[in-house]
This record gives sequence, structure tokens and C-alpha cells, in this order.
Amino acid sequence: MGPVELLHMSVFSQSFSPCGRFLAAGNSYGEIAVFSLSAALSPDATALSQKPVLTFTAHEGPVFSLLSTDCHLMSAGNGEISCWSWSDLTKKNVKPLWTKRPNYKSSLEIPEINAMVLNTRDNSLVVGGGDNNIHILDLEHGIFKTVLQGHSDYVHCLSLREREAEILSGGEDGAVRMWDSRTGQSVHCVEIYKYESCARPQYGKWISCLTTDSDWMLCGGGPSLSLWHLRSLSPTSIFTLTGCQRQTSFYQDMILAVGEGPSVAHCLLGGEVKAQIPCTPQSLNTLQLNTNSAEHRMLTVGGSSNHIDVFTNLSYRAFSLSF
Amino acid sequence: MGAVTDDEVIRKRLLIDGDGAGDDRRINVLLKSFTKWCNSPGTPEEGFTQYQRVMATLGQCEFSMGKTLMVYDMNLREMENYEKIYTNIEQNITSAHEKIAECKKEIQRAKRVRKNRQEYDALAKVIQQHPDRHETLKQLEALDKELQQLSQIKENVDAKLELRKKQFHVLLSTIQELQQTLENDEKSDNDDNNQESPAQTGE
Repeated sequence: MGPVELLHMSVFSQSFSPCGRFLAAGNSYGEIAVFSLSAALSPDATALSQKPVLTFTAHEGPVFSLLSTDCHLMSAGNGEISCWSWSDLTKKNVKPLWTKRPNYKSSLEIPEINAMVLNTRDNSLVVGGGDNNIHILDLEHGIFKTVLQGHSDYVHCLSLREREAEILSGGEDGAVRMWDSRTGQSVHCVEIYKYESCARPQYGKWISCLTTDSDWMLCGGGPSLSLWHLRSLSPTSIFTLTGCQRQTSFYQDMILAVGEGPSVAHCLLGGEVKAQIPCTPQSLNTLQLNTNSAEHRMLTVGGSSNHIDVFTNLSYRAFSLSF
Repeated sequence: MGAVTDDEVIRKRLLIDGDGAGDDRRINVLLKSFTKWCNSPGTPEEGFTQYQRVMATLGQCEFSMGKTLMVYDMNLREMENYEKIYTNIEQNITSAHEKIAECKKEIQRAKRVRKNRQEYDALAKVIQQHPDRHETLKQLEALDKELQQLSQIKENVDAKLELRKKQFHVLLSTIQELQQTLENDEKSDNDDNNQESPAQTGE
């Protein structure tokens, strides 16, 4: 890959392997790179151990979403979902197990898939993308069983509310919809930009990041990043971060957020921004925490650069993996 | 030449250093002087001086031996001491490890508590924005009372209005009837008069 391509590469998605020893990252050229974390973290790591152990082209378009199950890696490309086996990938065998395409209404346009979540309760994959709908794929039978319609513009992000078996989706139309995963009906619809405290009309009304831990929800994008109490559907704290946030996560008693701007923001639930840790890429797209392995606990962020920053201690950047 | 010099050197070394070094030398010298004293044919004073010398050397040897024994005891006790310190430090290390694990658990607990407190604070902020329930209830009660009073007044006014209407109706109908009766009477009077006058002219 030439230096110009490396310069223009963006990392859109990441996923840790179920054993916690490998990281898969998808970029804007449709490639997926697998990095070995045990090699990169070992005391005698060289510059070579920060390069991927395997790079392969998975899709024609950018890989916007990656998801790991117990033994598989799902990747979303140009309107299609491919499934790879982690054990095959560690043995450098790059043949996908299957590739499926949701039923799109028109066959002319192929909408991209922006987000995927795994519903472990009924072993299904929830997929949201450019056709304004959310498709649910039953992993046991391999068929798309439900379509959730309601958004008037494309779906950017998905999240699962475990306790109540609800799917939350945020989209370009500024609405966060809550769907009951069993009946497929839209239970609530909150338009974030209509709330004065959150709205930032200069950025727009789209929602690009959504995460929940059953009682609370974080959402942001055009409107500022805000913490919502789901039972009363009211915003409780607004985080004053410049730029639009693209991915957030709850971690212990903190909130981690990445977006426009070369830093990872650490915020407290009360609304104060505790710290902003600088990173290599100029703007960040994805944030992942490795909770699958005790000795490889780390936070990795990727964005508009071919480098993926690794944080072993949340307060500073330890080193970078690069494509 | 070298061999002769070697022999010379060896002889000289043996002469000077033949007894060994230090304590060993002292014991050898003691033995030699003892045998010399036993076999010496000299005067009793000389014999006594030699005897004194032998005793002195013996004393020196005993002293040196005593010192070495004490040093040996001391080394043994130092070893014990070090063993004790070593086990002590090991215990400290394990207890420090345990304390670290405990503290880590404490930190996790404290983080959870902090998270809960912050969630509570966030919710409390939202709740504070809404007015107090008691006040709202009181306002509702006051409004209810006002409503009741006003409807009572309305009823009273309606009843009064009805009564007045009925009374006016009664009055007006009586007046009308009287008018009618008067008209009828007038009419019948006129008729009577008209009937009488033609009867009178006819006669």
C-alpha cells in the first residue's frame, strides 16, 4: 500500500477477539487487519509487532462495523454482512463462512450498513444502515426475520437495552427510537434536537453515537453529548465538548467519548469533562475496550489515520498499532 | 642456572617461611620450642625462661582459638538473624500483596458508589426542576374550591332568574287576561247599547 493511500486511510471499526488476544480493525478501503496483542504488549516488542499479523480485503466498500461473537467475526461492508471464523483468521485462512444481504426494497441502490449489535437473548444480529430500516437476522436459521421501519433517514447507530429487551437506534433524522425486540414495534421516539439544552443547530440534528446501560443512555452527534434517564425520558446532564461525538462508552464510573478532535474525553456522570487525552489521529471514529482478557486490558481508538492508538493505562497513550 | 637459583629460592623460602603463616606458624613454633625445652641441657634459669616462652606461646594459641570459636558462634547467630529477617520480609511482601488486592476491590466498590451517587445527583437535578407535589396538590384543592363556589353562585343566580321569569310571566298573563276581560266587557256593553237604541227608535 503506497504512502498516499496510507495517508488517506480512515479506521472505521474495531473488534476484539473473544479470547482477547487479537484486535480486528476495518478501514475505508474495505480491508480488515488482525493485530496480535500478546506480541505488541510483550516486553520485547519491536516495531514489527505493531503491524498486523494478517491484512485482507473483506468488502468492496469501507468496513463501517465489526462485531465479535463467541467464535465468529461479523463485518459489514457495502450492504452485505460477512461472517469469518476467528480460529481461521488466526491461522491466516481468509475465507468467509457466509455472506448475506438484507432484503432491500430497491435493487438499484445498495445502502451501506452503519451499525450492528448482537442480541444474545434470541441469538440474532440487529443491523442498521442506509435504507432507513433496521433488519434483524436470526443467526440460527440464517434468515432475516424482521424489519423495523420508522426512521425517515438513515440509521447511524444501534444499542441494546438488555434488561427490557429493547433496541435503541439513532439516525440522521435526529430521532432516537426504542423498539421492542419481540414485537418489532416502536415503543418510544425521542427527538433530541427539540430539547433546548442539548440542541446545537449549528451542527445539525443527526445522532451519531448511542450507548446504553439499561437505565441511562448517552447520545450525541449534532446535538451535544447528553446523558438521558430512560425511564423518565429526560436529559439529566449535558457534556460541553467541542465537535460532534462519534462513539461513547460507559466505563466503571466514567464516560469515554471520541469524536472530532484529536483526544479521548473522560467525563463524569454529573456533566463535567474530567480530562481530554491526546491521540495521534486528528479525529476519532471508533473506541473499543478489551474486556475479554485480563492480561490484555486496554482501550484502543482509531480514526482518520492509519494508526490505532493503544492505551494500557487510560491516562496516556502507550503506543500505536499501524496498518 | 635457573634450577640452582630455584633451589636457593626454595631453601631460603623454607628457612624463612617453613612454618606456615599466622596461627599455624605459632603452633609449629610452640611444638619446636617445647621439644627444644624438653631436650635442652642448659641452666635452670634458661630452662625457666624457655618454659615461660612456651607458656606464653601456648596462651597466645589458646587466645587465638577462643577468638575463632567466638567468631564462629557469632556467624551462626548472624545467619539465624538473617533467616528471621528474610522470613519476616517474605511475610510482609505477601501481606502487602493481599492489601493491594483488597485496596483494588475497595477502589472498584468506591467507583460503583461514586457512579451511583452521580446518577442520583443527575436525577435529583431534573426532579428539582419540577414543582413540589404538595404545593401542586394545594393549588389543585384551592382551584377545586373556587370552582365549587363559582358553580354554587351560578346555580343561585339561575334559580333567581327562573323565579323572576315565572313571576313576570304570571303578572303579564294576569294583566293580559284583565285587558281581555275589560275589552270583552266593553264590547258587550256596546252591543247592549246598540241593541237597545234600535229597539227604542223602532217603537
